[in-house]
Amino acid sequence: MESLYLLIPIAAVFVFIAVAIFTWAVKKDQFEDLDREGQRILFEEDDNDKEK
Amino acid sequence: MSQKPCYHCGEDVPKDLNIQSEIDNQVVDFCCYGCQAIAEFIQGADLSNYYQHRTEKAQNAQNTSELDNKFSLIKDPDLYPLYVFENGNIHHIQISLKGMTCAACAWLIETRLQQLEGISSIHINLSTSLATLEWQPKKIDITDIAKEVQLLGYQASPYRADQTDIDIKKAKKTSIIRLGVAGVGMMQVMMSAIALYAGDIQGMDQSLKTLISWLSFAFATPVVLYSGFPFFKAALRDLKTRHFTMDLPVSLGIGLAYTASIYSMLSKTGHVYFDSVTMFTFFLLLGRFLEEAARHKSYSNNRNQQELSSAWLIKENEPVKEIPLSKISLGDTILIKSGENIPVDGVISKGSTSIDESSLTGEYLPITKAVGDNVVAQTINVEQNIEILVSAIGKQTRAAAIERLTDRALSEKPKIAKIADNVAHYFVILVLICASLTFIGWTLAGSDEAYWIMISVLVVTCPCALSLATPVALTSATNKLKEFGLLVTRGHVIESLAKCSHIIFDKTGTLTHGQFDISHIDSTDDTFCLQIASALERESIHPIAKAFRQSSPIQAEDIINHTGLGVEGKINGERYLLGNLKFVSSLSKNIKTSPSEFTGLTLYLAKENTGVIGTIYLQDRLRPHCQEAISDLRNNKIQVSLLTGDTSESARSVLKPEKFDHFKCQVSPEEKWQWINTQKDKANILMVGDGLNDVPSLAGANTSIAMAASSDLAKIHADAVLINSQIETINHSIKLAKKCQIIIKQNLFWAASYNAIMLPAAILGYVPAWAAAIGMALSSLLVALNASRLSR
Repeated sequence: MESLYLLIPIAAVFVFIAVAIFTWAVKKDQFEDLDREGQRILFEEDDNDKEK
Repeated sequence: MSQKPCYHCGEDVPKDLNIQSEIDNQVVDFCCYGCQAIAEFIQGADLSNYYQHRTEKAQNAQNTSELDNKFSLIKDPDLYPLYVFENGNIHHIQISLKGMTCAACAWLIETRLQQLEGISSIHINLSTSLATLEWQPKKIDITDIAKEVQLLGYQASPYRADQTDIDIKKAKKTSIIRLGVAGVGMMQVMMSAIALYAGDIQGMDQSLKTLISWLSFAFATPVVLYSGFPFFKAALRDLKTRHFTMDLPVSLGIGLAYTASIYSMLSKTGHVYFDSVTMFTFFLLLGRFLEEAARHKSYSNNRNQQELSSAWLIKENEPVKEIPLSKISLGDTILIKSGENIPVDGVISKGSTSIDESSLTGEYLPITKAVGDNVVAQTINVEQNIEILVSAIGKQTRAAAIERLTDRALSEKPKIAKIADNVAHYFVILVLICASLTFIGWTLAGSDEAYWIMISVLVVTCPCALSLATPVALTSATNKLKEFGLLVTRGHVIESLAKCSHIIFDKTGTLTHGQFDISHIDSTDDTFCLQIASALERESIHPIAKAFRQSSPIQAEDIINHTGLGVEGKINGERYLLGNLKFVSSLSKNIKTSPSEFTGLTLYLAKENTGVIGTIYLQDRLRPHCQEAISDLRNNKIQVSLLTGDTSESARSVLKPEKFDHFKCQVSPEEKWQWINTQKDKANILMVGDGLNDVPSLAGANTSIAMAASSDLAKIHADAVLINSQIETINHSIKLAKKCQIIIKQNLFWAASYNAIMLPAAILGYVPAWAAAIGMALSSLLVALNASRLSR
């Protein structure tokens, strides 16, 4: 059970990192256009095909 | 043979039409030459992948073809720096795009513009319909870029974020972060809580318990202090204004449970409630976030239209020049081209035309005007070019007067008393009295447990379920209404819709389509008649032309418009006339006049040397199922009235006065609003309208709904927008609003009675804190489940 004293704080650190990344993403406009970005990958695949 | 859909826009292709092209080695049909041109352009630019990728059909070419190139205007040295950011050779601008329907549209525009030389970068945001463009003015002109976009079937106009946009964007980002922090924090604290509960049952080392408590504390603190900040701020405002809303018990609940948990954590006695606190904060934030998001969506991107309006200034011995409207002054003479919006009030000094004043009066038939007649801003010049002498600009115009009236109406709008806030007011006082009495009572009785019993009282009475009761029900009702086709943009709509007892409709554009439709044709060959009429009207922008379809297999030449009379043109070498009785009487003597009961518009088609060959009857048509919807409303004991700026004759031609409780014609925007004011005391009013003339009434009514095709101003001031334009949606919405009201009352009743039962037990010290916390979570869950019945 002693390992918990180490593992729990480490888990906590990871959560704080996740929140920091989330905040950064919001500030950098990553959530600006949810309708569009999901489909971008489909178009780019085609463009690459043409170049080949 | 079934009708084929247009390859580009998906509209039905008329049977007798044959517009075909080869796209991707496949012969396809189009509904009009506009759509064909766009598709061929896309194919030519090697972008026909668009058609494979798109998930929605494109807009019809008719909707995007208006030549409205505002980019030449921003070249004015005064306006340029407002829109364009210069960085050496590279200039930077934001563009608002119209007509995008799915992600493929954005891809199409981006890819096409990247093919052009001189474009440094282009990025399109689909949700806001805004593009960020960087280009080199030395290599490519901005107006040419806009033209490219137009060739693809979209409309572009320069965009400049005003302060409201910036504020909204900033506020939205902050709420997303607040919500995210609350969400993550809640999950962590919940996990710790499960461990603690398990520990209570199985036994757990005190040191481990302390660690987990501290961990919950660490995660709950940002949730309470940062995410919950808006609640505390609002509660402080409540205290200052002495008007208690739900924010006060909410912050009280969060604040007290949080401090009590810290105390019990430090003293290692009692129970921690960090889990309840975070969950509560998260769910309340979520409700508010969804409400805000719906509201912001309805704001249009085109609020800087005024600044980009332009006028053609006429000066003696100088060529006509297009200049920004802001530089026009009183007494100037300006040219209004046919089809253009009139930007100012003025008097016609040269020429004659007809003016579409439907946005101001509701009269959908254009009015013929000649030299000396007044024209007003926000109306459309339909036929010929005219010159006008400017008599009022900006805030002095009649249209601006309506906007001022709107502000007044808005300030007098009755406030809807929210049930929850009424409850909150008394609830707070009751809870505070109970808690303090409990503490005093137990202390006097000499108990060491006095503080803990008081905390139990507070937790038991924690307004979790009570304050969730309304938002969860409203959120699921709002979503359901959106499915019905009604977009709710203000928080009070559902409550006020349920109370609505008198609905006032505008006529033109609301109950009717607001444009001419062919009612029937009287001729020997209807199809032929229609083809000729369509060919003659093809170039026209007169509202009558909209009744005819855009394309015709026949081509007309030498088309001449006669103001107030009709149109003539040559087809296969023969001259045809289409217009009113006066117009065709020169060709033919014995004309059968229209039956007297017909109140719409009658057009005669005449052929030179032959005389009248057909009569076409046009009428503004009611929206489908509109009559049924109205009688249905009246059966449900809701009064229905019609207020229109139109003449009574024209109103009666489509609607029967006996179908309404009140039927008023030829009312001005001011009169409409005043009449609503007189009715306000008697009933709870819902106003449904679309035009500029309805805006003060929309702002002044208890609840207001704007039609999907409304003017921007109407949409901004309405509480909800009827996206599907079907009147019966209003009936469904009222029913749902009433159901929602019942659910809210059930929820409040449940939450209040739960509190009422538990309160005496807690005061007497029979409820351990952990049981209070579980009870609180369960009652919240019950409330949420009850609300979810609405979305079924």
